[in-house]
Amino acid sequence: MPVTNFNNYTLWRPTFRAPGFVVTGFLGFMLMSSPAASQSLSDEPEQIGFYGFNDEIPEVLTTTRLRQPKTRVPGTTTVIDGEMIRDLGIMSLVEIFRLVPGMVVGDVGSSTPVTTYHGTVHYEQRRMQVLVDGRTAHRATLSDMDWQTMPVPLELIERIEVSRGPNSAAYGINAFLGTINIITRNPADTAGAEVRVVGGSRDYLRTFASVGDVSESYDWRLAYEKRKFGGFDYQLEDDERAPFNDGHDINVFNYDSRLKVNSGFNTDIRFGIVDGINEEDVYKNGELGATDNPDIDVRDYYVQTQLNFTTSRTHFFHVQVSFENYNRRQRWPIEIPESVVNCLANGTEVFDDANNCFQPGGTPLIANVNSDSEDSRLEFELQDTLLFSDDLKLVTGLGYRKDTYRSETLFNGRGNNYQSRVFGNLEYTPVNWLTLNGGGSWEHTTTTDEVYFSPRLAANFTLGNNHALRFVYSKAVRTPDGFEQHPDYGFILRDVQPAIYSSYEGYRVENTLVNRDGKLEEENIISREISYFGQFPMDRGQFSLEVRVFKDKMRDMISGIIAFEDWTIDNNVDIDQKGFEVEAAMEYPGTTFRVSYGYLDQDDWYNGAEISADDSTNKKEKQYKVDLLGRLSARHSGSIALIQNLPFGLKGSTAFYWADQLKESRFERLDLRLAKSIFQPRYTAEVAVTVQHYMNTDPDMSIDNNIEDQNQLFLEAGIRF
Amino acid sequence: MHLARDGMTENVALFWSLAIAKLRQTLHTLIAMAIFAAAAPALAQDNDRLPVYIAGSGNITLDKHIRSLLQESLGDQRDLVFVSDEQAALTGNAPIVTIGPRAFSRVRQVNRNAPVLAMLASQDFLKGFANRSPGQVSGIYYDVPLLRQALTGKAILPHATRIALISTASSAELYDTLIDQLPQYGLEARLFMVDDDKQLIPTLTRALSYGDFLLAAPDNDIYNPRTIKYVLLTAYRRNRIVIGPSQAYVKAGSLASGYAPFPEMTRMAAEYLQTFIKTGKFPEPDYPASFQVEINQQVARSLNIPLASSEEITRAVELLLTNERAQGDE
Repeated sequence: MPVTNFNNYTLWRPTFRAPGFVVTGFLGFMLMSSPAASQSLSDEPEQIGFYGFNDEIPEVLTTTRLRQPKTRVPGTTTVIDGEMIRDLGIMSLVEIFRLVPGMVVGDVGSSTPVTTYHGTVHYEQRRMQVLVDGRTAHRATLSDMDWQTMPVPLELIERIEVSRGPNSAAYGINAFLGTINIITRNPADTAGAEVRVVGGSRDYLRTFASVGDVSESYDWRLAYEKRKFGGFDYQLEDDERAPFNDGHDINVFNYDSRLKVNSGFNTDIRFGIVDGINEEDVYKNGELGATDNPDIDVRDYYVQTQLNFTTSRTHFFHVQVSFENYNRRQRWPIEIPESVVNCLANGTEVFDDANNCFQPGGTPLIANVNSDSEDSRLEFELQDTLLFSDDLKLVTGLGYRKDTYRSETLFNGRGNNYQSRVFGNLEYTPVNWLTLNGGGSWEHTTTTDEVYFSPRLAANFTLGNNHALRFVYSKAVRTPDGFEQHPDYGFILRDVQPAIYSSYEGYRVENTLVNRDGKLEEENIISREISYFGQFPMDRGQFSLEVRVFKDKMRDMISGIIAFEDWTIDNNVDIDQKGFEVEAAMEYPGTTFRVSYGYLDQDDWYNGAEISADDSTNKKEKQYKVDLLGRLSARHSGSIALIQNLPFGLKGSTAFYWADQLKESRFERLDLRLAKSIFQPRYTAEVAVTVQHYMNTDPDMSIDNNIEDQNQLFLEAGIRF
Repeated sequence: MHLARDGMTENVALFWSLAIAKLRQTLHTLIAMAIFAAAAPALAQDNDRLPVYIAGSGNITLDKHIRSLLQESLGDQRDLVFVSDEQAALTGNAPIVTIGPRAFSRVRQVNRNAPVLAMLASQDFLKGFANRSPGQVSGIYYDVPLLRQALTGKAILPHATRIALISTASSAELYDTLIDQLPQYGLEARLFMVDDDKQLIPTLTRALSYGDFLLAAPDNDIYNPRTIKYVLLTAYRRNRIVIGPSQAYVKAGSLASGYAPFPEMTRMAAEYLQTFIKTGKFPEPDYPASFQVEINQQVARSLNIPLASSEEITRAVELLLTNERAQGDE
């Protein structure tokens, strides 16, 4: 229902905003009394009943959870339409975020995609809240985003809203740098059947199929997507090209439905299954001397229901319950040198370099180990919206979350974290040129056993309907996740060979250097924003411009390595950052031209405990920790995109994406797509070709991320009945 | 959802059921005719004094409204007399104005030779009868030419170039003329076919991804009380507006539709009657020369579309039409 930036949008892209008009429309229809109307009754809709519109329109309340136009919203929000994503020939979910000012996308490890707003770490990126249809979508225990297995086919994206800047006031402690809200298409809009196949370079293959129907009381859709990709072409091992086991083969099933009981009440019911293999390379992952690729077997599922109640046009609320389960099996064989076995036998700390436990020779111990984990999230939310008047609106709510984690390797058993919170936001427009927003959340979490209050205050000065200058102040925290806070890391040896080591069967290899009792504290951010949003209607089109200038203070940031053999995380880095971002769009009938740009200037320093007595080591280690927290921070990043309707049912698009002065590399790519739509009375077909041209051959993010051919080609064909 | 029966079919069925009933009444009717004929000896003798009969729709308010508007246009010297079906069989060569398609069918059934001027009948309904009996059967079309509807959409969304149309296989011809006319106005249209009611929404979704707006013709198979809610909801969720099919649908939530104003229709009907009285023949049936646009401001506000007044939109449509005519003349 509420699309933050669509207010006053215009002539040529009307957007449905106000609910309820049909109520009066149909009522009026029933009461028609003029002769003209009476005449029409003979063969026209006379028995049309009266019904509400509220429940039929998808709801989004990303920034404050209130439906707000961009001129009144307390912050900057980027909205990317599903149609634009498809028109630009974007090939995977994470790539979409290259269109968002200030966001950077990369790959770490074995082609594990990562993205974030305003940088920080590249591995275990965990400082944004990500929601899919209101359901928290990051992994509960590790607070890590898994974009490869996210159960959202590109074809089903209605739009993505990215609320840029801390948003804990509305979404709690994970919404530290921003919030991504993915809204999937309403089943009522996808009735019928659709099949699409996209194939191309590096063994890319994506197939999508969906079927669904609409009826008086029930709309539904069943969708399937297969994502297969070979990953990068090669990695470098000792300066030699080596094969890179970094692809994936993922199957996603979604069922989305809406049961419409009456105009005041409906229920969304969704569930999904993710199944497949995410390849991991032996050189990248697999601790304890892996001898084969530690591929991950993915078996996730979720169920979600949301009960929507509309008691009147000015009061509505929903109750949402969801359960998500991430089940990952990751097993691999290892080979440990005899010297290590000796250290284990003597009780010597294996991973302390000083002990020189790793020596070649002898009879190696062979065994199987695993990094299996299962984490579950049970989430409950109640949200209530009261519209006192056009100028006074209040949203309030309660949330409760239980995270359960099970892993013999990561936690030596199982554990739970609990979070509960209360949130609210009040929008008040005392005079027509000023809108004030005040919001906040109180949240208790058992990871730190503390209560946090995260407020946001904003004043929007509006000029006419089309321009606004916003001043925003917000505070947020991120608490360490279960794994950061309570790791009990150790690998149990199984199927141990040869027989001389049989006493090690079931032995748990632990790293006592993992700092388990070091209690981590929450990270803090104070963000100040001045932003401008303006729309300039033109003769036949429209120009819109949004500029965000920000100044953030991040304190007690957790930096360090999270790995079995090296566990050094602590609250030890402070960052001051400032910069500005621009998003502009020129839209004409048949033409869309869009530009995004982000400039980020980070000033960061170490503020933790001394690391080493040796001055130069100390300095180096400190700098390393600081650098870790800037790995995904790009000084310049942006995109330029043009979508143009062409004659003969053709549609062309081009996009250029770049991220400059990422701490270690530079990314530049030009995409071109040409699509032909064939509209037939009984079916609609589309064929398209997309070329991605990498402007340079430099590997992105890591020296192992190599692509042989600078030009990547993709072909797609789809049909809809 | 259920597609309604075709309007035409309905009328044919009605025709036959009435015909059977009438057979039974024939004797009674003959007697009634004899009495009526005796009571009106001068009937159909003198064109100057010829009354005009009206076969009403059954909706008394509507019938009286049309009668009074016709009376204004014709002047007081002409009698306007409501007739029953039985009476309609005995009107001789006096013209009968029928109100609505059902009245038309009934009159045609009892008196195949009477000159009939149909009002409130659509072009789709009337054209066939008029072609078979030129001069004897005519009418003022009640619907608005689809081209005007299309241009109404264009006037509201000036950038629009593509129009989505939905029909069944049997109603597809409704749009034939329109599809040929559109290119001169910088517009094109595509027809999306619905074979059974299950396909309506999937087809609509495809159509909306093609068109800048949906143009609805008076096609009961597609647009009827049971379907309109889904059509409108689906269109508005896709940010697409719906134009047509009639004024009544605008009240139901369609954004706009052209319509023929009653005074204009009755003024034109009066002209046709005068011509008949002078020449014994009606001119060919036609649309009223002027039309008006009904808009739903509430829908426009909800969709964030700045909407001019209905008068301005009407003028814009007429301007589009005249510009094209002028260009055609060059």
